[in-house]
Amino acid sequence: MRKGRVLVVDDEESIRKAVSRALTSRGYLVEVAADGEEALAGVRSFDPDLVVLDLNLPELDGLSVCRQVRATNAVPILVLSVREEEADKVAALDLGADDYLTKPFGVDELMARVRALLRRTGGQGSPGPFRFAEGDLELDVSNHLVTRNGTEVRLTRTEWSLVEALAQHPGKLLTHDWLLRRVWGTGYEGDVDVLRVFISQLRRKIEEDPRRPKIVVTDPGIGYRWVLQPSEVPA
Amino acid sequence: MAFVAGSVAGPRGRVPPLLARLTIRRPRRRIAGYGVAVLGTAVLTVALLPFRNDIAPLSKGFGYLVVVVAAAALGGLGSGIVASVLGFLTFNFFFLPPYNSFTIGRAEDIVVLFVFLGLSILISAALAHASERAEAAETREAELAGLQELSAQLVALGTGGGTYDTVLDRVCSLFGYASVRLVLQEDGSPSQAAHGEVVELAAGGRRLGDLLLEGDRPPLTEAERRVLRAFSDQLAVVAQRDRLSKAALEAQVYRQTEHLRRSLLAAVSHDLRSPLAAIKASVTDLLDEEAEHSADDFREALESVNRETDRLAAMIANLLDMSRIEGGTLRARLQGVDLGEVLSECADRTMRRWPGLAVSPAVDDEASAVRADPVFLERVCANLLENAARAATLSGAPRVEVVARLAGSSVTVSVVDHGLGVPEALRGELFVPFYQMEGQAESRTAPLGRGLGLAICKGFLALMGGEIWLENTPGGGATFRFSLPSAPVAEAGGAEAP
Repeated sequence: MRKGRVLVVDDEESIRKAVSRALTSRGYLVEVAADGEEALAGVRSFDPDLVVLDLNLPELDGLSVCRQVRATNAVPILVLSVREEEADKVAALDLGADDYLTKPFGVDELMARVRALLRRTGGQGSPGPFRFAEGDLELDVSNHLVTRNGTEVRLTRTEWSLVEALAQHPGKLLTHDWLLRRVWGTGYEGDVDVLRVFISQLRRKIEEDPRRPKIVVTDPGIGYRWVLQPSEVPA
Repeated sequence: MAFVAGSVAGPRGRVPPLLARLTIRRPRRRIAGYGVAVLGTAVLTVALLPFRNDIAPLSKGFGYLVVVVAAAALGGLGSGIVASVLGFLTFNFFFLPPYNSFTIGRAEDIVVLFVFLGLSILISAALAHASERAEAAETREAELAGLQELSAQLVALGTGGGTYDTVLDRVCSLFGYASVRLVLQEDGSPSQAAHGEVVELAAGGRRLGDLLLEGDRPPLTEAERRVLRAFSDQLAVVAQRDRLSKAALEAQVYRQTEHLRRSLLAAVSHDLRSPLAAIKASVTDLLDEEAEHSADDFREALESVNRETDRLAAMIANLLDMSRIEGGTLRARLQGVDLGEVLSECADRTMRRWPGLAVSPAVDDEASAVRADPVFLERVCANLLENAARAATLSGAPRVEVVARLAGSSVTVSVVDHGLGVPEALRGELFVPFYQMEGQAESRTAPLGRGLGLAICKGFLALMGGEIWLENTPGGGATFRFSLPSAPVAEAGGAEAP
């Protein structure tokens, strides 16, 4: 049973071992790297489907590794950090990391993120017509059509841009700045209030219970995540 | 906020104060001058009366001139003029013919008499002027001497002196007060003295407090007031200086504490969480029933949990040690300790913790007894061996040598590894808690064990009268050396003399 190739990068041997043991015993093929240089070499030689990357590395730190990997490779990156400062996580996500986990974490949490990121790999690079379904709701992103129980729900142009930006990266944590840049253009970075207003407007239209969102989920202080997986991805 | 920065009481039955003594001298001398004028004239007249026919009038006039000079010199212009007029009258009455009358027979005598009077008054005036100036100079000198003495005492106080008792004591005896208090109170109304003087202290337009002088003594003279004013100005400047240097010291202490606190938080967030993360990952991995674990996996996970728990425990012990050292409440219980025993115990423990590592303690017989706190010594050795073990294991030269030698009256212990050594840039602050933290928030931080271990070693050794320093191992690696006083053989309990 081979589920995927994972490169685990952490300078703490105990964590490296625990994570690779957990992944191996669940059918993943694992390689490890103890510092930034080893990580870059590992990405080239091992060609992983996912990189689990500790931010706090000796010499070449995690953020630099993130930047250098992203420059040439689209492999999903799951960042591990003991630092709870939002700034570090946001920096890593802005540099192209796909998600993060704060130490200490449970293996079940780790596995959920790993599965989500590996699933997403299939759709990557082919942004095309998307269809999603959740309860009574049907969402056809490519044709800009939303129906609840067959009745059409109207979205504004900005709301559609927002849905497109989010839905193209199901499962991925998208930072405030990334979304603002993508939907409103450069210059809007930092204007989190605008984003929050539009997100809550969108939720009122598409979520069954806007206070307990199941489609667009908040990651406090960092950004938003589209958690629905596409029901149909036409080739 | 008011506090009494100094308070002194003068001794009972003390001699009159210096300045006061000087200023009461003047009226006494004046009375003495009049006395000389009256008595001198009377005595001279009685003495000369039997010979009034044998002595020429001019000579008798010179006798009276002596009295005038004496009176003027002692009592000033007033007594000089009194002596002149008395001399003029008695000279005329008793010694210028016709005798016993104020009439003058000869025109020659009239000239003598008025020349005498004119001369006496001129001399009196000149002498009085001179003696007044001398007196003023004397007062000024006393003022200066008093002020200089007080200034010298103020300068000698030194920065940050808590109380000003020595200076106030001088003020007390110099001015003749029963008690002198210095109350530093920046805001609020001026203090009140029951009977005496209150002098406000101010520097740079800022009120600092009051100097309260109490006691039964005559009101201050002008001269005394001048001295007191000048002194209190100087005292204000000194008090201001002390206040500022105290504030600066407090700010520095606060900054250091703040830095330590921040470093501690950063260290705790990284170093305590890393072992926790490993433990959590291992345990949740084992708990998950969906995963297929081999027996080896199981054992490895449990061993990792065990090792990381030890690591956490060691870090917490270090944190507690550090906070006790920083708190300053720790005291070493010095006694004779068998160094060889402590070192081989630590070596065994380190080898159990780092499988594959060889630790070889070599303790000279004469170096085996040291004067130390056994608990502190054990912590120092454990920390140094832990450091060396980590360096040795990382470098792939898994051996650590421990050597103890007697050098003079102290024993030097060297912990030698053949690892990568300590980078030059880190050496300066190696023994400061969390030495790698400052200005490197973004880069990697030192593990808590290392960030604190050496600072703890230094703290414990300082409490035991020892020292620690770093040298290079020939051929690469670090050699940490520490010294401790050697103990008399009897104290170490059976260590043999060489």
